[in-house]
Amino acid sequence: MREVQIDSAQQAQAEEKRVGVYICHCGGNISDHVDVEALCARAGQAPGVAVARTHMFMCSDPGQEMIIKDLQEGKVNRVVVASCAPSLHESTFRGTLQRAGFNPYLYEHANIREQVSWVHHGRPATEKATALVAAAAAKAARLEPLEPIRMDVIRHATVIGAGVAGLQAALDLASRGIPVALIEKSPFLGGHVAKLDNIAPSNEKASELLTRLTRQVLDQPAITVHTCTRVVGFAGCVGNFTLRIKVDGEQGQDEGKKLHSMPTKTPRRGVFLPQYGVVTGSCPENPAEDSIETGAVILATGFKPYQPMFGEYGYGRHPQVVTLPEAIQALAGENGSHPVWHWHGRPIRNLAIIHCVGSRQIPGVHEAAEGAALNEYCSRTCCSASLGFANQVRENYPVTRVFEFYRDIRTYGRGQEELYQRASKNRVLFFRFEAQEPPRIESNGTGSESPLQITVKDTLTFGEEVQVAADLVVLAVGMKPNGIDDLVEMMKLPVGSDGFLLEVHPKLRPVELPNSGLLLAGTCQAPMDIGEATNAASAAAVKASGLLARGFVELDPFVAEVNLEQCTGTGACVVACPRDGALQLAEVAVNGKPFKKAQVSPAFCLGCGACVAVCPTNAINIKGWTLKQYEAMVDAIVADLAA
Amino acid sequence: MKDTTIPGKILVLATESCAYPGADAVGQAHLSYPANTYVLRVPSPVLFPEKFYLDCFDKGISAIIIMSCGVECPYEGAYDALAQRIDRVYQLMRQRGLDVRRLRLTAICTVCTRAFVKEVNAMNELIKELGPPGTEIELQDVAQSA
Amino acid sequence: MRLEAKIEVDAVVIGGGIAGLQTALDLAEQDYLVVVVEKDASVGGKMIRLSKVFPTLDCASCITTPKMAAAAHHENISILTYGDLKSLDRSSDGRLEAVVEKKPRFVDEAKCIGCRQCEYDCPILVADENQGGFSARKAIHIPFSNAIPQVATLDVDHCILCGRCEKVCPTQAVDYFQQPQTIRIHAAAAVIATGFQMTSLHDKPQYGSGEITNVIDALQMERLLAPHGPYNRVLRPSDGMEPDSIAFVQCAGSRDRSMGVPYCSRVCCMYAIKQAMLLSGALPLADITIYYMDIRAFGKNYEQFFQNAQAMGIQFVKAKVASLAAAENGAVEVCYEDQVNGGVTRTSHDLVVLSLGKIAAWNPFGTCPVEVAEDGFIRSVSPRLAATLTSMEGVFAAGAAAGPKDIVDAIAEAGAAAMKAASYLSACHRPKQARSGVSINVKPQPSRAVAMG
Ligand SMILES: Cc1cc2nc3c(=O)[nH]c(=O)nc-3n(C[C@H](O)[C@H](O)[C@H](O)COP(=O)(O)OP(=O)(O)OC[C@H]3O[C@@H](n4cnc5c(N)ncnc54)[C@H](O)[C@@H]3O)c2cc1C
Ligand SMILES: Cc1cc2nc3c(=O)[nH]c(=O)nc-3n(C[C@H](O)[C@H](O)[C@H](O)COP(=O)(O)OP(=O)(O)OC[C@H]3O[C@@H](n4cnc5c(N)ncnc54)[C@H](O)[C@@H]3O)c2cc1C
Ligand code: SF4
Ligand code: SF4
Repeated sequence: MREVQIDSAQQAQAEEKRVGVYICHCGGNISDHVDVEALCARAGQAPGVAVARTHMFMCSDPGQEMIIKDLQEGKVNRVVVASCAPSLHESTFRGTLQRAGFNPYLYEHANIREQVSWVHHGRPATEKATALVAAAAAKAARLEPLEPIRMDVIRHATVIGAGVAGLQAALDLASRGIPVALIEKSPFLGGHVAKLDNIAPSNEKASELLTRLTRQVLDQPAITVHTCTRVVGFAGCVGNFTLRIKVDGEQGQDEGKKLHSMPTKTPRRGVFLPQYGVVTGSCPENPAEDSIETGAVILATGFKPYQPMFGEYGYGRHPQVVTLPEAIQALAGENGSHPVWHWHGRPIRNLAIIHCVGSRQIPGVHEAAEGAALNEYCSRTCCSASLGFANQVRENYPVTRVFEFYRDIRTYGRGQEELYQRASKNRVLFFRFEAQEPPRIESNGTGSESPLQITVKDTLTFGEEVQVAADLVVLAVGMKPNGIDDLVEMMKLPVGSDGFLLEVHPKLRPVELPNSGLLLAGTCQAPMDIGEATNAASAAAVKASGLLARGFVELDPFVAEVNLEQCTGTGACVVACPRDGALQLAEVAVNGKPFKKAQVSPAFCLGCGACVAVCPTNAINIKGWTLKQYEAMVDAIVADLAA
Repeated sequence: MKDTTIPGKILVLATESCAYPGADAVGQAHLSYPANTYVLRVPSPVLFPEKFYLDCFDKGISAIIIMSCGVECPYEGAYDALAQRIDRVYQLMRQRGLDVRRLRLTAICTVCTRAFVKEVNAMNELIKELGPPGTEIELQDVAQSA
Repeated sequence: MRLEAKIEVDAVVIGGGIAGLQTALDLAEQDYLVVVVEKDASVGGKMIRLSKVFPTLDCASCITTPKMAAAAHHENISILTYGDLKSLDRSSDGRLEAVVEKKPRFVDEAKCIGCRQCEYDCPILVADENQGGFSARKAIHIPFSNAIPQVATLDVDHCILCGRCEKVCPTQAVDYFQQPQTIRIHAAAAVIATGFQMTSLHDKPQYGSGEITNVIDALQMERLLAPHGPYNRVLRPSDGMEPDSIAFVQCAGSRDRSMGVPYCSRVCCMYAIKQAMLLSGALPLADITIYYMDIRAFGKNYEQFFQNAQAMGIQFVKAKVASLAAAENGAVEVCYEDQVNGGVTRTSHDLVVLSLGKIAAWNPFGTCPVEVAEDGFIRSVSPRLAATLTSMEGVFAAGAAAGPKDIVDAIAEAGAAAMKAASYLSACHRPKQARSGVSINVKPQPSRAVAMG
């Protein structure tokens, strides 16, 4: 229990507040419309004001020197400068106080240029300036020194998920000398990329790319790789988290068993196994638990491909309807010696690819699986992956014809439009359909050459109904976020309506979570391709590195603060607080007796003040913006010093 | 003697990240608006309890415009809480016979200069019509006693 | 005689758009000293000149200004605006040297207080490029209301040397004899964030070569829609009429080898949809049509944004527009092959907006030996795993300089470039030099929030 001593008498004899008011002419910008000398004379009369002076340019060195001199001679200990907008010079004058050896927060700004001399004229301008200066002085007389909140952090980071995003983030952090724990639930490194073959649009081999990346990770002494491991417990706040991890291969059990029954017998560390990933060693026989003390956590848990529903484009009903990942796997196994591609020994003369399966679903048009929401988003990678696949088929098996059924071709990125152009050159045939009228897949009946027939209203040929025979139908399935409900629950992660983890700001802060110290990398945040996932991973790593680099973090002091003497422990503030973990009731021993009092966790507090409004005794306030200060400002405004 | 051309004082509670810079932008554009407006910079107006608004009217403030960030509010959940609070303030104002139009919740962005001026002008028209706060009560009293 | 100055930093960032600023902030947070070199009079790039941004419809100024201010106030960042990059290359000591010529503003940056007295007194009116050319500015002016730094710049091309600004300036900041200054920046690492520019309307004879008044480009439409735009309303340029029918022509210069831009410009589908939505708010009765080849709404929440636009009644016509012609009463005739109904179709609109292609804003040829790819943007040597690595060691690229990109992708890539530069810097020896003496008009803040990022 926290113990505090409250001595009311001691609080009463606080230091005497002497406010200095400094008014700027701004070279006529202010003084042409505001009677600066009259303003100065009146400001000198305001309660608490010890000194009032003017200067042609307060922000100039002589202007600032004037303030420093008054502070150092003890004439004043609170400062108000009346000049331009605070966005321009508030930080300048806070710096002035600091140079004089004072706390920079003993400063208040009065905005008499943008909000007075540039918008009002004549006597009303001077009157308003007077009221604003009096209000600022009233606030200044109630200012207390503030210190930024400083917290020590553990120079260690944890990355959850060892797909390309997680691997890249771990490498980047290690390059800055930060020790990293890389946690992967399966026995392999590489995530979904291990299931790919030729990577669009650069045409690199997935195996080469992963071998290169994982070798660096395995050779990096600062990275500890934990495969077959899951996070089972989470506590703490930015800079000081504790993760409980469980090593048991439980999750990766199926794959783990396969690992042991591999033909390679004892797979060597660093070896790439197609479809699985890079081996780090065998899964431990006996489960074990451990804990990790870490300063920041990067989530890189990735995605899973959309699983079509039974009957969706004939999936499950016809064995010739498969998903793109399945088709990529099959094609990768072939050697291309035959002019026709063969699938399980069967020649594929006509290959159809259908785009947007499980993506871009429209309410009222598409139906969701039971208990699931529609996937209204575009999965972003399937267009390029499909075209890359189509080109690979056409270029290796010239007799196999390829037909693509699409809604929009989204080859937006560098090198992607070229894939589309190459597909046209390779004579891949394109049909475009509307979401309302998707292609229909039917059995062709016995006797016909191809087992399936696709019917579509093609909007590229003025809505003509077209029929295409197909030996194989490939569904370009989209991305769904990986199931991480346990982590979401444990770490209180925000999830968007699309099921992906939700960043702080969709434009400006894509890799940050509102939970300070937790970051996002790769496809757990949104669909993206490999290049974008590794960019996001590096961006997340730079944020984590910035947080951990100095060994401590400093946060703005403008957070809630409880006056223990006034707090009666109603807990109203706790209910009003919008931020989990920022405010709670805690037992406090006041002068030896136990009480329930509100307690702020500054690392979590947003400083919004929702708590302030609901406290019946005004025992909680935002430092630097207290309710008393505002009331004093209103009093000064209505007092009409100018009248 | 009081200046009768200035009908009363308008308090503007302007958010630090949106509306306050918006008010500065009005200055940068040298637009002009009545000088009876006093802009207070606030992190988020959700900080003020119901009593703060009522006290302001008691102290003689004729009208209050809350200029928030609206949906761009940087504090998650704060805007909704604010909107709810303002509804309660309206109830309390009605109970006291204060015209609820004296309190207005708006959203102003950093470059919404014309919207700022429009709000301030509209509120000035209104308080000219209404007179000082509390006169509504007197009117009611008169009506009741009659 | 030329003035010369030398600056020693850890990293130099070329370009002060959103990507450059984010890179600088992320590097500064690692305690590296950074200087940002911007060719314009203000930082902020294209983003500060936009109206609202898709898909959130946040006000662009409101979300850009805090980033600009955070960079300007950061104690580890110096900003050098109005600088012309003369060369960026490795010097004999193995470090990088950027030679920048600071163009004369004819206003002393240290003295100017941003009061605009000069601007009010200047008698010369010039079309304002920051307002799409629709309204006027003065020959001496502050670029726009939230420019950083707030310093006036005199445009010598239009100044008549009447001397009024010099007289009226309260700080005697106007200096008609200011000379260019050469600044040599020594740094261990560099990040190129020079962004993009639009292809020229004048190169498009089929779209009227810029001669049809009511055919405007998308950046001009951004200004018409901005809350602080030239008219505060959407009016068409020829006669100030409120347009009843507005058309967007997509891929007007992209995805077409004959136009020199074979690739997709990546953001125009989304900004056209955004502008269409904002227009239907501003002009509820207007008909809005988007002529497109494919709608590329691929980012997070973009598809939902597109679906909302369709629900709002915005017309999407799948067609490649063949030509535009001036028609009667200021109308513009759009000629296209209708792929859904067939045949060549002609439709008239009051105002036509072209989604022009995006090309690289900076060609390093002759300035810097870094390689560019066939598309003209900086080439990445590891596009899948480390997209920000260029052909030059210690030189990284971010944002639209490395290919067209929306804001969020530019920001993520900026973070990645900062990460790679920081890794590179921690592998190099860290210099011990003191902070440079570049004037930035803003003093460091006493303390900063880490969360600012
Ligand atoms: C069919 C298809 C084709 C594609 N083709 C291409 C292409 O040609 N080019 C291209 O650039 N991109 C392509 N992509 C996209 C590419 O696969 C992704 O961009 C990439 O895999 C994203 O990597 P990631 O690290 O974010 O996620 P993932 O690859 O999904 O990795 C996530 C990792 O986290 C682990 N994990 C998950 N949950 C936990 C947990 N709770 N605890 C511990 N570990 C956990 C997983 O086991 C996995 O190893 C394609 C995608 C698909 C579906
Ligand atoms: C009409 C339009 C609307 C848009 N709307 C949206 C939207 O709603 N949402 C969205 O996400 N994106 C939108 N975008 C895209 C957005 O503008 C870009 O994503 C963003 O501007 C990229 O930032 P950047 O910093 O990479 O490049 P830029 O913004 O181009 O910045 C580059 C900077 O570098 C400077 N520079 C160039 N060359 C040099 C040199 N040689 N030396 C020094 N400095 C140099 C430039 O002056 C500029 O300041 C839109 C684009 C357009 C054209
Ligand atoms: S990337 Fe292409 S196939 Fe995938 S969801 Fe988007 S539009 Fe459909
Ligand atoms: S983003 Fe859309 S309009 Fe722009 S080039 Fe690509 S497809 Fe064409």
